[in-house]
Amino acid sequence: MGDQYGFHFDAKLCTGCKTCMLACKDYCNLDSASAYRQVYEMQGGGWTVLPDGTLQQDCFAYYVSLACNHCARPACMEVCPTGAMHRGNFGLVSVDERRCIGCGYCALSCPYHAPKVDRLAGHSAKCDGCAARVREGKAPICVEACPVRALDFGPMAELRKRHGACADLPPLPASGETDPNLAVTLPACAEGRDVAGRVSIANLREIV
Amino acid sequence: MSTGFATALGEITLVLFTTLAPSGALAFVLMGAALLREQGEARVRINRFLIVPIFVSLIGLVASATHLGNPDNALYVFTQVGHSPLSNEVFAAVVFMGLAGVYWLYQFADRANSRVQRAWLVVAMVSAVAFVAAVAFAYAGRTIVTWNTPFVPVALCLNALVGGPVLAVAGLHAANWEPAARGFGRTMVAASGVALAVNVAVYAVQGMDLARMANAVGSAAALVPQYPAMVVLFAALCAVGLAMAGVPLFRRAELSRRRAAAAAALVYAGIFVMRFAFYMMHMTSGISL
Repeated sequence: MGDQYGFHFDAKLCTGCKTCMLACKDYCNLDSASAYRQVYEMQGGGWTVLPDGTLQQDCFAYYVSLACNHCARPACMEVCPTGAMHRGNFGLVSVDERRCIGCGYCALSCPYHAPKVDRLAGHSAKCDGCAARVREGKAPICVEACPVRALDFGPMAELRKRHGACADLPPLPASGETDPNLAVTLPACAEGRDVAGRVSIANLREIV
Repeated sequence: MSTGFATALGEITLVLFTTLAPSGALAFVLMGAALLREQGEARVRINRFLIVPIFVSLIGLVASATHLGNPDNALYVFTQVGHSPLSNEVFAAVVFMGLAGVYWLYQFADRANSRVQRAWLVVAMVSAVAFVAAVAFAYAGRTIVTWNTPFVPVALCLNALVGGPVLAVAGLHAANWEPAARGFGRTMVAASGVALAVNVAVYAVQGMDLARMANAVGSAAALVPQYPAMVVLFAALCAVGLAMAGVPLFRRAELSRRRAAAAAALVYAGIFVMRFAFYMMHMTSGISL
């Protein structure tokens, strides 16, 4: 099986352009109702009127580009009743369509909103880390598409050595729950301070 | 954040399954218990009418199968028994339905062995209880914060204890088993009433527990804004259903078959409301829409 692969996301570089998401949709032939990678626009803070009548603001915003994190303890695999959700080469978690019954329990249990149920095809579908491309020595399509190199993909040990082991940033759940194979470079506004509880997803209607 | 209505509507077949099957299984156990005490003609009649709880459970099971995207692969479910709570549930359901169904058919054998029948019935009854337990724990995914609570399995078992006895009364009454219209019937309705009171209390505490839950997208309370109203509706429908069966029973008056069936239907409608609320409240610890 070899090394466990995963993604690195740099929130300092990401501009929220969503090229990663569209490249993925194009490569995987997804319609508007589905997406394996999505970009969350996060916003927080606000304006306050001070006693002297002047205005002060502590607004902040950042983006989180998120696909499947191919977790070390994946909730989707734990609940899958058929074993269709499995870990394959490079440690990537994907759906065996010949086993999946389309019950949708993986989609219900993933706290990263990664698996989707393709009702038409009758099975679950999700990011497989572009395993076919990785086998050819290429990077996943989203990584290759990113115009600012905010995404990277490779052996997690290497990524963590280079970028640190952080994987906690809203809207992500606490990383201890499923041990995602994801390394996050925090945005400047979240460095050294906890933004949880002060931030919300601004583009919720875009998320599918 | 939208409410969980769309989630529940999307899983409507599972709402139906979890409403019908656990209560049906418990009704099977209760009718079986009545049957084991009887001999001769009464026994034959109850045996025939065991089809009532079996059929109710079967409708639930068939409904749950329709939500599958690819039933062709369903046999793979048995490869994860012991690992996936959903596999355990399906396995328990198949074992129960298989044992109960074959038991029911065996009574029509030319020379049915009554010892085999009794033993088979007891095993089927045990499998029914195991099935209810398996359904109760099928939804406890550790990342689904609103489902992974003690309230969920307790409420599901209580649902069965509310719905099972009323259906058993309807079934036994249809089989012309006299105690169903007398002492046994009264005991069943009273037991169901007690279970209902406890069930409402559990839902009330669950409601308070939901109020403190939130994830990156929103709060659990926002998913089920009508939660208190739904609990009231559940209590009202079940109480009216129990009263329909209970009033004639406790007044020592005639309970018609139709009335007993209508009482069971009302109780099931009440349970359906809270099973719908259960799917509405689905929320993971991170991002869930």
